[in-house]
Amino acid sequence: MVAQENYEYREKREIQKNSIYLPEIATLTRKEIFTPFDTFFEFELKERCLGHLPGQFAEVSIPGIGEAPISISSPPSDNKTFEMVIRNVGTVTNAIHLLEIGDTIGIRGPYGTSFPMENLRGKSLLFIAGGIGLVPARSAILYALQHREDYKEVTILFGCKDPAQRLFANELHEWKKRDDIVFHETVDTTELSTYIELTHMDLSYRGPVDEWKSKKWTDNVGVITTLFPKLNGVDPKETYAIVVGPPVMYKFVIMGLHDMEFSDDHIIVSFERRMKCGVGKCGHCQMDHIYVCQDGPVFYYEDIKHLKEAI
Amino acid sequence: MEILKISKNDFISFIAKKLTKNESKTIGVVKKGSHYVFAELNSSADLCLDYDVTLLPPKKYFQPPKEVLLKFTPKKPESYEAVNTCEPITIIGIHYYDLVAIYLMDKAFSEGERDENYMKKRENSLLIGIYPTKHFKHRFARSVTRGQCRKVADLMLVHIGDDLVVEVLTEKGKKYLEGAKTVENDYSISEIEDAKNIVKDDQKIPVPVELTPEYLEKKYAHPAWEHFGDKCFSCGSCVLVCPTCYCFDVREEMELSLAEGKRVRVWDGCMLEDFAVVADGHNFRRSRSERFRHRIFRKGKYLPEKYGYFGCVGCGRCADACTADIAGPVKVLKYMEENS
Repeated sequence: MVAQENYEYREKREIQKNSIYLPEIATLTRKEIFTPFDTFFEFELKERCLGHLPGQFAEVSIPGIGEAPISISSPPSDNKTFEMVIRNVGTVTNAIHLLEIGDTIGIRGPYGTSFPMENLRGKSLLFIAGGIGLVPARSAILYALQHREDYKEVTILFGCKDPAQRLFANELHEWKKRDDIVFHETVDTTELSTYIELTHMDLSYRGPVDEWKSKKWTDNVGVITTLFPKLNGVDPKETYAIVVGPPVMYKFVIMGLHDMEFSDDHIIVSFERRMKCGVGKCGHCQMDHIYVCQDGPVFYYEDIKHLKEAI
Repeated sequence: MEILKISKNDFISFIAKKLTKNESKTIGVVKKGSHYVFAELNSSADLCLDYDVTLLPPKKYFQPPKEVLLKFTPKKPESYEAVNTCEPITIIGIHYYDLVAIYLMDKAFSEGERDENYMKKRENSLLIGIYPTKHFKHRFARSVTRGQCRKVADLMLVHIGDDLVVEVLTEKGKKYLEGAKTVENDYSISEIEDAKNIVKDDQKIPVPVELTPEYLEKKYAHPAWEHFGDKCFSCGSCVLVCPTCYCFDVREEMELSLAEGKRVRVWDGCMLEDFAVVADGHNFRRSRSERFRHRIFRKGKYLPEKYGYFGCVGCGRCADACTADIAGPVKVLKYMEENS
């Protein structure tokens, strides 16, 4: 009887250890609402540090609701904590938004390829982040700022729909003040969206909407490519562009970079696709023959430009 | 490789004896109405070794239509527990092309991150293959498969007259045959090879199988995709019956008590409309022609380039099941050839 119990116990442990679908536990340690549908979260893993690289993502689980792939927004560190900014767009993200400090979630990861920050040492960096693309880009931006002396010129372009949709507003303010980086910001329009078409969001939070109703936006207005004329100091031979944003943005940004004589092996992109398993099995994230969760989400544009389903 | 012989009657009696011993679940091909299916064998008399095609391939035993991956208590991530239940099974009568499909699925689930839910079921299975003796009008397996069936089967059976020639491919297969009235084989190699090929395929793909990746590369913008996409219902019948399709969706379900739940995976398909839809509503493969093209490219280009083997085994089930009668790869390739 004892031998049978031992065998069953050992088998059970093997099953737990070998399952690629089993999440670990992380606790919510900080939460800050950024916009009516984007909230900042800091989680702490129980056992270890996440060990992620900039650009990677993790699968966040809420038992009973489901699992969603979310980009990691903090740079690599030895802490057990990591940061995310999550947009409330569906059942899982809605459940995450309802978490309170001290609540736990399941985490699987980190998964995917990362921005090649080590390889780019000694080069200049041009970050182009559109809207929620700032979230994964920030992981690489903060890494570059932490190792500022390892890179030559660092330029950051950020564009979003309207002033009330800016993420990390305090940090953007700091970046503007720094004299060792060039930072430009733009909004598509100064008209604040009425947010009525989106569901699942916390309309009780009106922070930036109310702020910008009375404040006047004095910075650039126009899509992100309208910032490109400001980049006259950028040397395309020495600079690598890191581009993250909504699907529609890539075509125009890459055309603009080509106009500035960037070659395709100096352009790095991060793509999003529908992901479920995160480990290259379920097939949802396929882009031509590539599983974006395994061979991406970060790609050199040179490597995927010929893929018909890429841009 | 050892080659033995057994009379068909002796083989059926042997299976009857195995069923009484109850060592492992025995699955065989049985008749269901006017069709054939893989199902649990209750009596050896039900076993059909002489069938044209089954409705569904045997993939359902290794990747069930619905499979529990995790158990949990809602709202308590600490309670997540991986589930991997499995019982030993023997499957009798798998046509060679379905075995080739199992070989491809083995690669997909073992390489990269190893999927233990699939692999454990495979490790606990014994596969007895057979060469078809009945004609199926949509089958074109000969033109797209090679000998890979022998890499996954434990035993391969060949009909010759009243006998079955048994190719013993693994130790596990040999052990299975203990107690069977097998005798030394006295058929010649050429007789056996002729018997394996006794049924010819009506169809074959018009392009040599090694050249399909190059061929398709040039056909990305071919009007065929619009032509077939127009007729496609996006019903997903083709991916449902396909032995090499294994895409799945992952969902969480709660019990009625709301005190327990499970995370399951269910069969999904790239031909369904919202397969590539993301949270903000963008669909990366919105039109039916794009999805139709993706499926053909995956079988004919992406999988061959990744694994070195054609991604379709020519079973013809999709051509049979398709609501609009357009899913068969032979039909698609022929259309492209005729309308270059």
